[in-house]
Amino acid sequence: MAVRILIVEDDKKTANFIAKALMEEGFAVDIMHDGDDALAAIKITPFDAVVLDIMLIGRDGLSVLKQMRAHGVQTPVLLLSARGELNERVEGLNAGADDYLPKPFALEELTARVRALARRGGDVKTPILQIGDLTLDTISRLAERGGRRIELTTREYRLLEFLMRSAGRVCSRMMILEKVWDYHFDPGSNVVDVYIGKLREKIDADCGVKLLHSVRGEGYVMKEAR
Amino acid sequence: MTITKRLGIGYAIMAATCLCLLAWLGYHEFVAEKAAFAARGVSDLHEDTSAEFSTVFFLGLVPVMLGLGWLWTRHVLAPLGALTRAAEQIESNNLRMPLPRSMNDDEVGKLNAVFSAMTTRLDESFQQIREFTLHASHELKTPLTVMRAQLETVLRENQSLPGTQTEWIRGQIDEVNRLAKIVDSLTLLTKADAGLVTLERKPVRFDELVQEAFEDALVLAHPQHLQVTLDECAGVLLTGDRHRLRQMLLILADNAVKYNCPGGGIHIALRELGDVAELEITNDGDTISPETQRRLFNRFARGENATQKAEGCGLGLTIAQWIVHAHGGNIELRSDAEKKTSALVRLPLASKT
Repeated sequence: MAVRILIVEDDKKTANFIAKALMEEGFAVDIMHDGDDALAAIKITPFDAVVLDIMLIGRDGLSVLKQMRAHGVQTPVLLLSARGELNERVEGLNAGADDYLPKPFALEELTARVRALARRGGDVKTPILQIGDLTLDTISRLAERGGRRIELTTREYRLLEFLMRSAGRVCSRMMILEKVWDYHFDPGSNVVDVYIGKLREKIDADCGVKLLHSVRGEGYVMKEAR
Repeated sequence: MTITKRLGIGYAIMAATCLCLLAWLGYHEFVAEKAAFAARGVSDLHEDTSAEFSTVFFLGLVPVMLGLGWLWTRHVLAPLGALTRAAEQIESNNLRMPLPRSMNDDEVGKLNAVFSAMTTRLDESFQQIREFTLHASHELKTPLTVMRAQLETVLRENQSLPGTQTEWIRGQIDEVNRLAKIVDSLTLLTKADAGLVTLERKPVRFDELVQEAFEDALVLAHPQHLQVTLDECAGVLLTGDRHRLRQMLLILADNAVKYNCPGGGIHIALRELGDVAELEITNDGDTISPETQRRLFNRFARGENATQKAEGCGLGLTIAQWIVHAHGGNIELRSDAEKKTSALVRLPLASKT
């Protein structure tokens, strides 16, 4: 069954291109422009994820979010906002959002995040992560590839853990900055790419099968290449 | 010299003159004359005592009246003092603070009324500016979102575009992002002006943040082959907002990389001086004149020779300064003759209690 996403966005053009991008990814998409209608729909329809703009006609996005959470609806929500500052993000996440994306965003960024949200239910936190012959023990913080120990700095470890937990999904630079660096603002630099380069040297060098891949214009993904 | 002081001195001089006169008269009347009568052997004390007494009495009253007058003047001028103190407290974010009112309809009262009207007008215009920028943020971001999405769609759906056109579209996307960043920064500063941004007040190990910033600076500086050193990193505990302090550190580290000369260096030092933490980030680069050093904290200010090479938006240092001030510290730039420029940040340590 197709994964069903609700887009709540008052600007019609924006709503349409988000819908187009998500449909290209194979999602089933509904669009709404009004906060009150959206809240009513969310309460009765089991969507897999909601893309919710904060500025809406009628009820605003934060209010929709608070109401649906108060109603016990646990559908993952990606908040979209015109305000990209730290405080608004914290406010959104405190209101019960699962993720937050400031405008303007890259379409790949949006689809990557929606994909991550829609699959969130299936995630299990296992202490030992494995991709191919690479294992990461999240308790002892030891990484091994084909029985060979890999020495990692704290940040490299956090980066590897995040990528391995998201195995098979593309992680954008912005997502990595948020989850690994805890930066909720754009540091305006290529710090992620440089760390990825270092990590790649440690885990993929001298190995026939590469595990850490770049996806052009989107970000990075860990998987066993087919 | 204040009016109160000038009047006070005037009154004091007049009072002193009167007292001298009184002393002389008293001496003349009671001592000298008595001596003269005594010399003549006459006891004539009843002659005109009452007239002399009233002269002395009225002359003695003058300094008392002057003293009372001075106290009265002080009382009348007191509202002016209160108004001055209140005006000193006024800043853009507390214009609604009520000014002390004088009870009667005198000149000071009128001054008060005029002043209140002026601050109210100022407050209204500040309020308009705030609302304008907040709405502007939303109204500007929506078209930017659409523009970016359309440009990306063009790129994705036309994989066979010539390289120059692809570059051109990527350039447009970069500009859209830059505009969005400026809108965000302006919104932040506007909200900060309005006192609408609340900072966390939690214990923060600042040295850990500096250590992280150092590691990031190493990475940022790598492509330009800059030498980055952490010369000192004293363990200091601050009270503040961890995210904001990291943002400030990253702005300074990023500036130190951006405005460096090829093959230059960056030196970071964190020291504990008494009850303040002092952070110094020094880089090699062109000397900045003292006027420019102060100006660089203004919105959209750029250094004389920085405009061509760096792609900043001219708001980084303003934000860094706001963060430092919000933590009760201060920040300044210093240049020396050896083409070294330092950003110097002083932040109060967490109180030991």
